[in-house]
Amino acid sequence: MHIFEKRWSTALSADKKEYTQFVMRQDETVESFLQFDPERGIALQHTNGSLAGIPFGVKDNLAVDSYQLTCGSKILSGFTSPYTATAVQKLIDNGAVVVGKTNLDQFGMGSSTDTSAFKKTNNPWDTERVAGGSSGGSAAAVAAGLVPFALGTDTGGSVRQPASFCGIYGLKPTYGVVSRYGLTAYASSLDVVGVLSKTVDQSRIVFNLMKGQDERDNTSIMHPGSSNGGAVKRIGVLTAQKGVLHPDVEKSYAEAVGRLQQNGYTTREIDIETMKYVVPVYYTIATAEASANLARYTGIRYGYAAQDAKSSSDLMEESRNEGFGDEIKLRILLGTYVLRSGFQDQYYHRAQKIRTAIRNEFSRLFNEVDVILMPVFPTPPFKHGDSELTPFQQKVADKYTCAANLTGFPAISIPSSVENGLPVGVQLIAPPFEEERLFAVARVCEKDFPSPDSPLYKTSWS
Amino acid sequence: MYQTFIGLEIHIHLITNSKVFCSCRNEFGAEPNTNICPVCMGYPGVLPSLNAEAVRKSYQVCMALDCTLNETAIFERKNYFYPDMPKNYQISQFAFPFGINGFFDIDLGGGTVKRIRIHDVHLEEDAGKMIHSGGVSFLDYNRAGTPLLEIVTEPDLASGEEAEIFLQQFRQMVRYLGVTDGNMEEGSMRCDANVSINEQGKGLGIKTEVKNLNSSRFVNKALEYEIKRHTKVISAGGTIIQETRLWDEDRNVTRSMRTKESSNDYRYFPEPDLPPYLPDKDFLQEVRESLVELPLARKGRFMSEYALSESSAAFVTGEKEIADFFEKMVQHGVAPQTAARWLSGDVQKQLNLSGESLKASALTPERLSRLLVMVEDGKISRDAAKKVLAAIFTENEEPEKLVKDLGLEQVSNKEDLEKVVSEIVNAHEKVAEAIRNGADKQIGFLMGQVMKATAGKANPKIAQQLIKNNIFKQG
Amino acid sequence: MDVMDLKITAELAKLALTEEETAKLSEEVARMLEYFSSMSEVDVTHLEPTNYVLQKENRTRIDSEKNESDIPDKILGNAPRREDRFIVIPNVL
Ligand SMILES: [Mg+2]
Ligand SMILES: [Zn+2]
Repeated sequence: MHIFEKRWSTALSADKKEYTQFVMRQDETVESFLQFDPERGIALQHTNGSLAGIPFGVKDNLAVDSYQLTCGSKILSGFTSPYTATAVQKLIDNGAVVVGKTNLDQFGMGSSTDTSAFKKTNNPWDTERVAGGSSGGSAAAVAAGLVPFALGTDTGGSVRQPASFCGIYGLKPTYGVVSRYGLTAYASSLDVVGVLSKTVDQSRIVFNLMKGQDERDNTSIMHPGSSNGGAVKRIGVLTAQKGVLHPDVEKSYAEAVGRLQQNGYTTREIDIETMKYVVPVYYTIATAEASANLARYTGIRYGYAAQDAKSSSDLMEESRNEGFGDEIKLRILLGTYVLRSGFQDQYYHRAQKIRTAIRNEFSRLFNEVDVILMPVFPTPPFKHGDSELTPFQQKVADKYTCAANLTGFPAISIPSSVENGLPVGVQLIAPPFEEERLFAVARVCEKDFPSPDSPLYKTSWS
Repeated sequence: MYQTFIGLEIHIHLITNSKVFCSCRNEFGAEPNTNICPVCMGYPGVLPSLNAEAVRKSYQVCMALDCTLNETAIFERKNYFYPDMPKNYQISQFAFPFGINGFFDIDLGGGTVKRIRIHDVHLEEDAGKMIHSGGVSFLDYNRAGTPLLEIVTEPDLASGEEAEIFLQQFRQMVRYLGVTDGNMEEGSMRCDANVSINEQGKGLGIKTEVKNLNSSRFVNKALEYEIKRHTKVISAGGTIIQETRLWDEDRNVTRSMRTKESSNDYRYFPEPDLPPYLPDKDFLQEVRESLVELPLARKGRFMSEYALSESSAAFVTGEKEIADFFEKMVQHGVAPQTAARWLSGDVQKQLNLSGESLKASALTPERLSRLLVMVEDGKISRDAAKKVLAAIFTENEEPEKLVKDLGLEQVSNKEDLEKVVSEIVNAHEKVAEAIRNGADKQIGFLMGQVMKATAGKANPKIAQQLIKNNIFKQG
Repeated sequence: MDVMDLKITAELAKLALTEEETAKLSEEVARMLEYFSSMSEVDVTHLEPTNYVLQKENRTRIDSEKNESDIPDKILGNAPRREDRFIVIPNVL
């Protein structure tokens, strides 16, 4: 069994024109890449490892030497990174080739990829709809068959939600297991580098190559391996509240539960009391950290600089005001506010404490079950614009994905069904370092329901 | 009469090979923007990685100041925008710094020692440098991210003079530890001071903070200026505005910086990129054992152990290398007073001439000790020794060889000297006669003649004895 | 949050907002803060904050310097405005 079909390992050899033309042609419809330039990737020294010659896409908030690094924001337009993220470098060291940088919500803030300053990425299943976010470009590129896998980042669901919207696999590893060096920080204590792929084993091999402690990331942690060899018997199924999920999602969720039971897993309905605090806690912590992380963009050392500023203070203020999108400004203001003296205890400190309560509850549950199943997102892929889901509703909808970021636990989004022509996924969460349990269950489900090919998916370049 | 409360915030640059959170070189005076990398330039995606040596030196200072060490030290982000600070937050320590509640004893002279409490010692990163010229500012980030240790005192100092003494002795102490070069002109030691006055017994008043103090002398002057200003305002029934002021060294005044109050909300929160630092026991033990005897203690010991005067001991212990040099000389058999006298006198003179440091010079404790033992043994005169000392600096040779090369060996051989003496006495029979009749002082004249005849190489003690013997024997 | 509060916050965040933006954003921030208020229900007395997720203790790096020769120039090349080896901005004073 080959993990990658042969066409991928030969795509960039001798006659790479066919492949590159295919991608450029397809991407006119999908708009998944912000920069597609395989020559740059070929120029980066790669070797003959287990991913020899395999092309992959990198979300444009991960640094790759000589490629642009825009984070989907005008404030970094034209900026070229002088270094490569550790996670990306490890794949290059194993032979993989970066072919381009994929679109995203500005700085990873969003669930649609529509907040990108450069283009809107379309869902390969229905171009009227979003690919999800914030790793929407990576998800769409994989679902359209432009690359076999792509890297994303996941701060509150940004790998899992677009994976679900595009009908592919999306892994968010345990926090710290993959180095964050080179991942443009949105919320430092929540950010992880993740993988989006067409098959479970592709995600698994990429993850295993990326993981490892990094001297450049003091929060990175050595992966000790699974405590039980990845064995799963009992699955906790979060009771879906009536009316919260879109009917298609509810149907798909039930189907996934049935599939698990048919495969011999013991399922048990569970309730998570702290779930209702997940979104407020998440947005408090994420925006607080973001307000500091995004302070460096001032038009002085790199990136967009406002013209004709009269003082250095004006230069900073105007560059930021012209360079950041609305959603970024909102989150910076919110994060600044919750850290202000007099408000810290009420918001930031309190949120960090409730985060402990959430973590404690998940840990308790994992004494009784091996993994937990829950929805990824309450709706199927929604339409571009505000008509179906306003930005505020999108935030509230992060409920199911944020928990894994707050706890640091690993999670995976797997395709569960196609409803009315749109893919839906479900999510599995495991205790820290138990990615193997996620792969084990995902593989079992994959046998019955592999990643469905989108209408745009092709298996040849012509 | 008012009571004065002064507290200092001292920043010292730690001596390390690399910056505190990245591997860029930590050096002063490099070409602009050469020691920079994505990390210290706050590039997207970078993370800090903590320098072990900066941590080690921080703990040395904490221990020297008798601080309580936090079991868990936490780095925090201090948020404010400034063009020379790449991330627009400074990684520092706030609620849980490396050390808290220490003290530093300052020596006010005449046996008076005053204990100044230390609030805390914390490690942080420095910012870059700006040069303002015309309508623009030029930015150089070589200094950005270099390790900076901040030492905060309680408001225990009572005058500008005490603050100046504190700074001088603190500088001496940290130089002893070898953690910083303490050069205030180059900015490797910087100081902000806060001051308030109040009626006796009423506690702290409203304080002002004074910045831009780049010598301990300016600290004294700026504080005295502020104390006078506060006194004037309060005596006239006014109140002090809590604010930051800049010392204007050209006009000898402090000026208000007029910063907006809202910009002082630093929104500290734990740095998520650096987990807590938990110093382990072995590490702390090893740092503790590496600590050297500090200046004040060493001065006291030199006074009691070597019977040095206070001023002499103060000089010798002023710099660690001089004190170490001194003790080596004593080990080599030089009398402590002699060693101290030479170190503070002729050696200092030679160092001033050559502009070298003692360490970099050709003079070693062994060389100087052997030279002074030669004087003691009467092999050379003290004047000759001074010549040899100068020659050691320029020639970098052993003193014995220089004595020989310069022909400075004293004639101590009695037979040779007796011959010279008897010739001289015979030639000046009248003088000899006068001496026999009690004109002792005339012996000096004969000594001069002997020295002239031996080109100054006669051992004066022996020569004098021989002259006396000769004169009175003949009588 | 009222407009004044938003202005103070924007100043701390170095954002120069237009009046229109200020009005719109103060509304949106207020909505989120209201949404956050559910956190006040939780009894947090016996909860330690989770400031650090899994790696609870820091490591240190050996103090060795390594300057990559072409990096400083690449970094200078990214500066919007410079003169010789200096990065230039409008006067701070
Ligand atoms: Mg400080
Ligand atoms: Zn650096």
